[in-house]
Amino acid sequence: MTRYIGRRRFLAGASITAAAVLVTAGCGGTSATGETGDGQDTHDGTGEVQGDIVFAWWGGGARNEVTNAVADLFEEANPDVSVSRESADWGDYWDRLNVQASGGNMPCVTQTQARQLNDFASRNLLLPLDPMVESGAIDVSTIPDDVLDSGRGPDGELYMVPYGAAYDALMVNQTLAEETGAGVPPDGYDWEYFFDWLAEAQDDLPDDVAAANVGGGRPNYLIAYVQAHGEEMFADGQIGFPRELLVDFWTEWEELRESGVTNTADQWAEEPSASEQSYVAQGAVMADVQPGNYLTPAQDTMDGQDTGQQLVTVPLPSGPAGSGNVLITSGFSIPASCDNVSTAAAFVDFWINDDEGAEVFSSSNGAVTNADHLQQQIDNPELPELKRHELEVYEQIVGMSPPVIIYPPGYQATFEAAFTRAYEEIAFGRKSIEQAVDDFFAEANAGLG
Amino acid sequence: MSRATYTPATRTPPRAPRLRFGRTPVRSPLGRAVVRHAMLLTVIAIMLYPLFWMVGASFRPNNEVFTTLGIWPSNFTLDNYTEGWTSGQFSFSRYFLNSLVITGLSVVGNVVACMLAAYAFARLDFPFKRVLFAIMLGTLLLPYHVTLVPQYIMFSELQWINTILPLVIPKFLATDAFFIFLMVQFIRVLPREMDDAARIDGCGYWGIFRRIIVPLSLPAMGTVAMFTFIFTWNDFLGPLLYLSRPDMWTVAQGLNNFVDATGQSAFGPLLAMATLSIAPIVGFFLVTQRLLVEGIATSGLK
Repeated sequence: MTRYIGRRRFLAGASITAAAVLVTAGCGGTSATGETGDGQDTHDGTGEVQGDIVFAWWGGGARNEVTNAVADLFEEANPDVSVSRESADWGDYWDRLNVQASGGNMPCVTQTQARQLNDFASRNLLLPLDPMVESGAIDVSTIPDDVLDSGRGPDGELYMVPYGAAYDALMVNQTLAEETGAGVPPDGYDWEYFFDWLAEAQDDLPDDVAAANVGGGRPNYLIAYVQAHGEEMFADGQIGFPRELLVDFWTEWEELRESGVTNTADQWAEEPSASEQSYVAQGAVMADVQPGNYLTPAQDTMDGQDTGQQLVTVPLPSGPAGSGNVLITSGFSIPASCDNVSTAAAFVDFWINDDEGAEVFSSSNGAVTNADHLQQQIDNPELPELKRHELEVYEQIVGMSPPVIIYPPGYQATFEAAFTRAYEEIAFGRKSIEQAVDDFFAEANAGLG
Repeated sequence: MSRATYTPATRTPPRAPRLRFGRTPVRSPLGRAVVRHAMLLTVIAIMLYPLFWMVGASFRPNNEVFTTLGIWPSNFTLDNYTEGWTSGQFSFSRYFLNSLVITGLSVVGNVVACMLAAYAFARLDFPFKRVLFAIMLGTLLLPYHVTLVPQYIMFSELQWINTILPLVIPKFLATDAFFIFLMVQFIRVLPREMDDAARIDGCGYWGIFRRIIVPLSLPAMGTVAMFTFIFTWNDFLGPLLYLSRPDMWTVAQGLNNFVDATGQSAFGPLLAMATLSIAPIVGFFLVTQRLLVEGIATSGLK
């Protein structure tokens, strides 16, 4: 799931990552990083299912509860196995994982996400999972191919079995949108419609509400924009889209910002990262890009204000090349340093395919990728309405055959950070759009790969 | 190391300038006191407002936490406290106990080890003392992140992961250069004549340390204890790396468990438990503050 990390947290995380990378590089080939180098070990995942494994994931109290429940089910089904669990919140999870990776001490079942996956895969820290799929140790037949491919590295090998798919959506304050007469964007609306829609709505909104949060610095919008225009985000570990496209993108957003359709750059820069504190959940803006699963907490916050306003999510705008809405999948990887691969593989297989486990977990971390389970959950009358909406929008996006992005190593630390910074320089009047685009391309291309 | 020069504090402190409003000095002592207290109270109120807000918000229902900047909850509830305390696999009583054990051992370790190291640097003569002192100070310049990974690898090789040893043992080895430096500076200004007198009375190095240096250094030890307590109690990265099993979590990790950047956070219980978690710090501060004052009062020589 996407998250906008604060600057200080980012710096701390980046320095840990840098330190971890240095040490990893220094110790390459030694026991500290497990089996590395050209003669990479492979494992088909079959063998005895017994002993201890460590299982690590990110999340807070509610998710920890259901995650523990699934791990308990696995232990019940395999009495010879003991699963020790490690959880932490998103940012802290990666801080710890980076340090563990440099110490050759990654958990046997490590939760990863497509955007960070290749930071680890490119350093040979993860086992390729194709042999385990071929041997039948991990059954992935229920996962749609487009979704499964998001767990592949640049070399085409599968390094992560995706179990939950998050997506970015446009979160719209339905009450405000209908009051202005602009309404909620219809199915299949495109970027042109989107920008016009914002401008039109702004005329009839209350003075203290902006139609949208400033969007030029959000990589999530950019990805959807680039894909909808038929371009690639990345090619050969470098930026894959033409610079003119970014100029157009930023020009559109700058026009909106300057004409007061969005809030101000100052307000945008000050927005807290928690979903509950986001401007759209607070009713300060009418629309913003948000992860699809933020609908429930955001509506909860909305309800706390007693304004009676309703939020709704719709897919991001389409373009000449169709939908640009990408899926951001989370899944499980098995590190090369794991000493109990067969049990780890059995755990991953259990997580993906066990009906009871899926019901307990109930898409707590993105929509369940197992197509059978997805249908079961949508059909479940006890599922809360907002959660059902989240799953239905996912189904809608999968139906539009979403593009798969293979994120190059350094994506989050380099690309996202440089992108947001470059747009800030435009929004705060320090650089022209052209200049910021040139600087951004130079900086991001130097850091990627 | 050369003997530190010692100048007795004979200067009288400069008289505080008289408060003025515009050009008219306030003459009445009562008026001055009122003005001074009013200003102090205003500053305190501004500084403590976030804290009051946190306490106020901890009594609001979860989804109303961020709806107001005011302090008084309109829908008063204690749910956050009951829910927060019992949330997770283990309750907060477990996390408080873990935190207290680690913090207590760290305070003892830091005070004892740093005091001994400081005594050696300030009073004893041994080869390479200046070089070693410089190296010790040099470790202050190393950012934490540089040593983080090598340390992790070392503790991992020692099989110390998921034990409190990585957090506690270094404290007993005087690894906090700042505290050693602080104590060295403090011991250096204690008059050497007292050491000499004790030596004539038959004390060795250990006797001087125990009977002269330690009793006179109580204020410094109080400072070290206080800072160690606050740093260790609030430390999150250390426990995050070394204590990943939920039954070993500290309070900071328990608080982290309420936050989920990728889903729904429980801010009400978070603020309720955060309110409780600052209580030990405030309590410890009050206790050591008295020690500080006593220490200064009894070591009238300074």
